[in-house]
Amino acid sequence: MKRWQNAIFYLVIVYLVLLLGPVAGLDIPRIITEIAQSPASLVQQLLVGLVNGAIIAIIALGYTLVYGIIELINFAHGDLFMLGAFMSLTVVGAFGIQDGASLQASGLAMLVSLVLSAGVCAGLNVLTERYAYRPLRNASRLAPLISAIGVSFIFINLGLFWGGLRSFFPIMGANAASPKSFPDLLPRIDILEALGIESNIEFTTKDLIVLVVAVVLMVGLQLFVQYTRLGKAMRATAQNREAAKIMGINVDQIIALTFLIGGALAGAAGLLVGLYNNTVVFTMGFTAGLRAFTAAVLGGIGNIIGAMLGGILIGVLSALSDQYLSSRWTNAWVFAVLVLILVFRPGGLLGENVQEKV
Amino acid sequence: MAQAIKSRNILGAIAALTVLLFGGWSGAVIGWLLGTGAAFIACQGKKITSAKTGIRLGVNAGLGLGIWILIASLVQGFLLLPTTGQSALGIIQVLTLGGAGLVVATLSGWLMGAAQGLGPRRQRITVAFLAVILITFPLIDQLADTNWTATVIQILIFALLALGLNIVVGYAGLLDLGYAAFFAIGAYTTGFLSSPQINLEWNFWLVIWIAAAVAAVAGVILGAPTLRLRGDYLAIVTLGFGEIVPVVFRNLTQIQIYEPISKIFASLLGQPKLAICLVGCDRPFNLTGGEAGINPIGRPALPLIGTFQSGKYLPWYYLVLLLVVLSVLMISRLRGSRLGRAWAAIREDELAASAMGINLVQTKLMAFAMGAFFAGFAGAFYGAYISAIFPSVFDFSVSVIVLCMVILGGLGNITGVLLGCVIIMAADRLYLPQLAQVLKSMLNTSVLPNVANPALRDFLATSVDPLQMRLFLFGLTLVVMMIVRPEGLVPNAERQAELQSPDEESLAEVRSL
Repeated sequence: MKRWQNAIFYLVIVYLVLLLGPVAGLDIPRIITEIAQSPASLVQQLLVGLVNGAIIAIIALGYTLVYGIIELINFAHGDLFMLGAFMSLTVVGAFGIQDGASLQASGLAMLVSLVLSAGVCAGLNVLTERYAYRPLRNASRLAPLISAIGVSFIFINLGLFWGGLRSFFPIMGANAASPKSFPDLLPRIDILEALGIESNIEFTTKDLIVLVVAVVLMVGLQLFVQYTRLGKAMRATAQNREAAKIMGINVDQIIALTFLIGGALAGAAGLLVGLYNNTVVFTMGFTAGLRAFTAAVLGGIGNIIGAMLGGILIGVLSALSDQYLSSRWTNAWVFAVLVLILVFRPGGLLGENVQEKV
Repeated sequence: MAQAIKSRNILGAIAALTVLLFGGWSGAVIGWLLGTGAAFIACQGKKITSAKTGIRLGVNAGLGLGIWILIASLVQGFLLLPTTGQSALGIIQVLTLGGAGLVVATLSGWLMGAAQGLGPRRQRITVAFLAVILITFPLIDQLADTNWTATVIQILIFALLALGLNIVVGYAGLLDLGYAAFFAIGAYTTGFLSSPQINLEWNFWLVIWIAAAVAAVAGVILGAPTLRLRGDYLAIVTLGFGEIVPVVFRNLTQIQIYEPISKIFASLLGQPKLAICLVGCDRPFNLTGGEAGINPIGRPALPLIGTFQSGKYLPWYYLVLLLVVLSVLMISRLRGSRLGRAWAAIREDELAASAMGINLVQTKLMAFAMGAFFAGFAGAFYGAYISAIFPSVFDFSVSVIVLCMVILGGLGNITGVLLGCVIIMAADRLYLPQLAQVLKSMLNTSVLPNVANPALRDFLATSVDPLQMRLFLFGLTLVVMMIVRPEGLVPNAERQAELQSPDEESLAEVRSL
């Protein structure tokens, strides 16, 4: 009897999806025909999703590291990434590099802006931890979250202000709030074409470079956390802060280090997004932050590999939704995924479900 | 004593700032409002045996405030106006304006002080004073030509929102970051039911209840999936809903719904015309108008007044005031009810509460429903008042601003929440725009002509804009409040003990309650 009820319930859900889905672009027959007509565009979207997902994964690492160690959703992390993008834009603007500059010049500019934006974001993140979160470490659980929302608003406003500094940085353009165009510095050579393969799929050196940098950062982080003394201390602090303290670990320093790493990753992601999407705007931190947070939760928050997996899944999902559903609804679909995971599998794909203790 | 002097100086500074920014008769109006308030604060926690003591305290407070106003009037009339490019006022005019402020502040202090000396009827008299101030405010505002009523209407709309959010966050302890969604649902329901754009024009007095009810149902629907989540996950899911709802309203512009089974058969048979169409058959149905929103929306009408007009604020003011007063009465009754005590219990300890036989599902859903109900009220009034709604009005920052009010004022305390709302909205909608205007004219007349460096000049002209600092100020408020005073300006005793670190002292405090 129970089984019949369940079956009817699921049938009703399927019927509702078929009935209402097309309004939000989820028209399954149309999607199937579109894919059948042009499989190449599916592969193309998967590739776009993979590269975007790698960048989302880097941001997601910042959420997951911080959550793993102090169980705080660092709401300001997405906006920190936005500030990183602004920092990169400023540095590139200061080098005076335009589209199509020589490889050495743009390479140097990218290197300097990587170092500077990672450094500035790391510093900002450590300062934020010191003054906005550390005083609240023993307060109720919601106090640091609310404080983080406050920091996020401060960062957004900082970005807006920064974008208005056209008198000092001409690259910011006339209007403070409008999107700024980021010079296209990476070489754009179609790899498949260079290899002599005929196809409709475009995979350029630009995609490859972004992907490689992202993977190097992620692998480096994983090695650091697994095999160094400090990484070990981080894992110990995440497992049990009190016990770690007793073992002689300077917990405050380790937490600050976690914020430092997360901030540096956010700064690097800021540069990568600027280079890849060629536009920077002060509101981009909010959406990117939510996508990255969704990725972290999807993979199992607190889990580094999970954040990478989740980031790539979310990137692919958004790319597919842009192509086959409707780009107007993409954000809604990403949030829907977030809500569904949190409700049905709060531990995420790779995480464990934690029972509430009395 | 030190506390009283401190609060008097704060009030004095606010009054002085008002005079500096607005000029004119604003000194008298703010003297009236704050003079009454200062006298009330001065009499707090004191034993007032006779009207005489009360009057002494009240006059003291009022006079102190009046002096601030007088000095500010002098500065504004003689020094500030010339730097903003207007001509300075004459000595007689300045003295009249400043003196009026002084006299009004002192008189209001005297009245309030005398009222405080009335012994046991003290509280009732205070409420009566508040009622008189609220009822006569728009008239006085018109008389003094300060034009604050439009802003006060917005403050009251947000007061409804803050009161509703206070139920969810303050009473039940469920952090809701997507509260603007219910505001949007209330507003859009009003839009659907009373706009010629959709061809439905129902009466506002009916629609406002429907909107509130729809919002409450939406509260239950959106609340249901979140019941199992704790603390921060709940916050994120509500935030997700708060983002999805405006996206949905933004994109429901081309609705065309086919019955799925017939559609599948039709496509199998290769005859798409056989599919049964349900909605938007001739051309896709535009429900929400997308980015352009719904415009116009029907306005309320009353027998003697006729249809409310957009430029005439009086009827709108009294309507929203009535809504706020009704909500305050309902919510303060709710708080002490069985449901209100159940909310407090799940806020303190969910497991213990459920062990004591409280139905967690029902109680939490009721919190979401009640909170959303008041947001629906606010949304319906807002839609009718602005007479147009756009999806961009209901974004995340609205949720955070309302949360800011609740936290600044004091979680779970109606007086505190209203105070937080007045402070934040007045700062945001009244003082910041005026400050921006004054600064701009000051820059244009006095500063910019003297700056030689073109880059610096461009920077000053574009980046010195207090309106661009709004988000910064909200964010700073949240961070500073969390660190310095997490319980808010007017704390609720239980909540205060809970938010501070659980040391022995505060635990003892809770036990003694």
